[in-house]
Amino acid sequence: MAGSNEVNTNEAKKVVPLNTWILISNFKLAYNMLRRPDGTFNRHLAEFLERKVPANTIPVDGVYSFDVVDRATNLLNRIYRQAVDNEAQWGIEELEKPLSTTEIVPVIIFFHGGSFTHSSANSAIYDTFCRRLAGICKAVVVSVNYRRSPEHRYPCAYDDGWAALKFVHSRTWLRSGKDSKVHVYLAGDSSGGNIAHHVAVRAAESGVEVLGNILLHPMFGGQERRESEKRLDGKYFVTVQDRDWYWRAYLPEGEDRDHPACNIFGPRSLSLEGLNFPKTLAVVAGLDLSQDWQLAYVQGLENAGHGVKLLFLKQATIGFYFLPNNEHFYSLMEEIKSFVHSDC
Amino acid sequence: MGPYDSSVSAGSSSGSSSSCSVKPADPIDGLLAGAGYRVRSSELRQVAQRLERLETVMINAPTEVSHLANDAVHYNPSDLASWVDSLLSELHQPEIAPDPSTFSDLNYIAHAQGGPVLVNPMVGHCELSSGTEIEEDSGIRLVHVLMTCAESVHRGELSLAASFIEELQGLLTSVDGERGIGKVAGYFIDALSRRVFAPQEASLAGSAFENAVLYHHFYEACPYLKFAHFTANQAILEAFDGHDCVHVIDFNLMHGLQWPALIQALALRPGGPPLLRLTGIGPPSPDGHDSLREIGLRLAELARSVNVRFAFRGVAASRLDDVKPWMLQVNPKEVIAVNSIMQLHKLLGSDPSRGSPIDPVLEWIRNLNPKIVMVVEQEANHNQPEFLDRFTEALHYYSTMFDSLEACSAQLEKSLAEMYIQREICNVVCCEGLARVERHEPLDKWRDRLGGAGFTSLHLGSNAFKQASMLLTLFSAEGYCVEENEGCLTLGWHSRPLIAASAWQAMPVLQHPLPLINHHQNVI
Repeated sequence: MAGSNEVNTNEAKKVVPLNTWILISNFKLAYNMLRRPDGTFNRHLAEFLERKVPANTIPVDGVYSFDVVDRATNLLNRIYRQAVDNEAQWGIEELEKPLSTTEIVPVIIFFHGGSFTHSSANSAIYDTFCRRLAGICKAVVVSVNYRRSPEHRYPCAYDDGWAALKFVHSRTWLRSGKDSKVHVYLAGDSSGGNIAHHVAVRAAESGVEVLGNILLHPMFGGQERRESEKRLDGKYFVTVQDRDWYWRAYLPEGEDRDHPACNIFGPRSLSLEGLNFPKTLAVVAGLDLSQDWQLAYVQGLENAGHGVKLLFLKQATIGFYFLPNNEHFYSLMEEIKSFVHSDC
Repeated sequence: MGPYDSSVSAGSSSGSSSSCSVKPADPIDGLLAGAGYRVRSSELRQVAQRLERLETVMINAPTEVSHLANDAVHYNPSDLASWVDSLLSELHQPEIAPDPSTFSDLNYIAHAQGGPVLVNPMVGHCELSSGTEIEEDSGIRLVHVLMTCAESVHRGELSLAASFIEELQGLLTSVDGERGIGKVAGYFIDALSRRVFAPQEASLAGSAFENAVLYHHFYEACPYLKFAHFTANQAILEAFDGHDCVHVIDFNLMHGLQWPALIQALALRPGGPPLLRLTGIGPPSPDGHDSLREIGLRLAELARSVNVRFAFRGVAASRLDDVKPWMLQVNPKEVIAVNSIMQLHKLLGSDPSRGSPIDPVLEWIRNLNPKIVMVVEQEANHNQPEFLDRFTEALHYYSTMFDSLEACSAQLEKSLAEMYIQREICNVVCCEGLARVERHEPLDKWRDRLGGAGFTSLHLGSNAFKQASMLLTLFSAEGYCVEENEGCLTLGWHSRPLIAASAWQAMPVLQHPLPLINHHQNVI
């Protein structure tokens, strides 16, 4: 703890709307219960507490969704698409036609957050977020239900992300544009952002096309304690101690946070120079204790000669995008929308 | 097929839990609802304060935290206020008076209520096996023509439908009929064909004996019935705690598969077993044979072997609404559990504005004053008035179910389980009126119906959830998923719930000064 037995909620209360505060505090307290000091995780209670929703072919706010299980991996992907106007066609997915033969429809592969441990593609918070993302950005969103730690450590999440990328690229019904290909973007929040980065690296090394990366306060770290970690520890829902726990749960046992999965431009990482790495939209929340690592990531991309745009939201906390009740949410959506349509 | 009303803010009164129904003046926060939490807007500050209090306690007593996680039983996390309160009382924290000044109004940004948010509207998902490209195309075409055929049936254009059926039978030959879309489509084409060409004999209802055999194989091949039995027994066991005379009324005895486990659990309970009565309802046996009694004798054997005093009574009835309460010979001193595994939907009519056979049945159940009513039902919307809606829904539902069955390695069980499912499909697709008994409705509708009939929800908690999950991991293929849904538990395949278990008790009846009415005189 940040050296005090008092609850440091005073700061967070002032900067987020009440219902957001309730939502994120609820997660914080529930997660505190689920993480055990010995590094194990109370998965049954976690699944019990998790609010999940089914996919729905009846559109909500103009977007409908359906689940597809990739037979190769047995992993679920939830697909979000714009609804057609013809009611009679609701309920049956037209999996033979491309999205469009004339226009480009971006396909955003989304990796949900949860510090590699929590949440699922069908978590209510992520289902709602992906629906909004698809609707506002006029994109197709594919939300990936990757395997989580501590049951499945590094590199499982990256392998699953890679499998999802291959899956998406091979769906004829996700193609669009006159060039008839799948226009893929990778996106994720927190651990999902970390996954997006690593999948993009593998894609660049393998010659698989990714048009852009969208990293929403991505989960990066390192052995060193950065200034933002010390300054903001425990103040806005997150503690350094819980970050440490999640890294210990994800990284191979015995590893430290300078492992290349965690510390991207750190002492053990390979250089990204010369790689055909996609352009990146990096979103950093000014009240996130991990921001120094994220800003270092942005700097690292620039140093390696890769295009990166930084959206720094000074007064935003982690999870600001779960509820559309603040200006940060709308700024974020506008940025993502123009990011995925900038090539059209 | 119109859009469902998926709004859960002001005005929605889907009485899903034991809390009072939401009045229009006291809406729930729409944005939190989209995240799966029901909190009244007027209570946001209070809930926030309780969360703060909980956090303080947790920080100051870390060992308590592990107690909360490992020992405490959690219920209905969607009702955030009561979940937080239950944790606080686990930690022996008295309620605090709300302090209006804690949260500053200055920074409370007014939030948009947002558009309709979804909490469990009925769903469908079309899952095609990703075989070869050719296979995928044929599968897609198959679904296309199936839907078009169903549409023509819906419109009454039977000769057009007949030509589609011919086309479908041709298409079937170019897909793998043993798995995936080919298998499901085969059954639906068969069902449509029966409806179009031989509507009088469309129902596949077999003899009670045949049905019981198929049921038994469905029980073995996949975990849905085991989950139902297991979850129900847990809840019944808890309801019977501390009582010495208990009576289970089983609405569909079949081979009594559910009861050995309960008998054994009662035998082992601390303080010793109660006197257990079991009343098993089932169809009359042909040829003077008494199959109900035979099952009862076998269960009695088992009970005797574990020293549980046991009495069995069989009630033969072709339909549940033929059962009259006096046949159950309920005793005022005993504690009653009513157990309905996939039976109540058979009593529904298709016109909600007219009374249906279920209403008097729910009334007599309630009048028994049961300690617990276990209801397990298919989580599907197969009772919609329009044929095409039912067909589409059924196609999705049974596709998912067949998908889950593919994991079963025992060929015989699997084939017979499929026949069991096929009968359900035929009933949903081919039959109308009284003959159509498979009138499945989703959890939300059952909540409304049971709530309206004077029952209140008994929440199934994290202990039941954990045990069901663990059993699944041990005995079933990966892909089955238990979920918690506002006090109820569902079992599904991947993300699609297929069966829902809920527990209920009768709301207290107003006490009359008159003595109890003798049940034998209370025949309606």
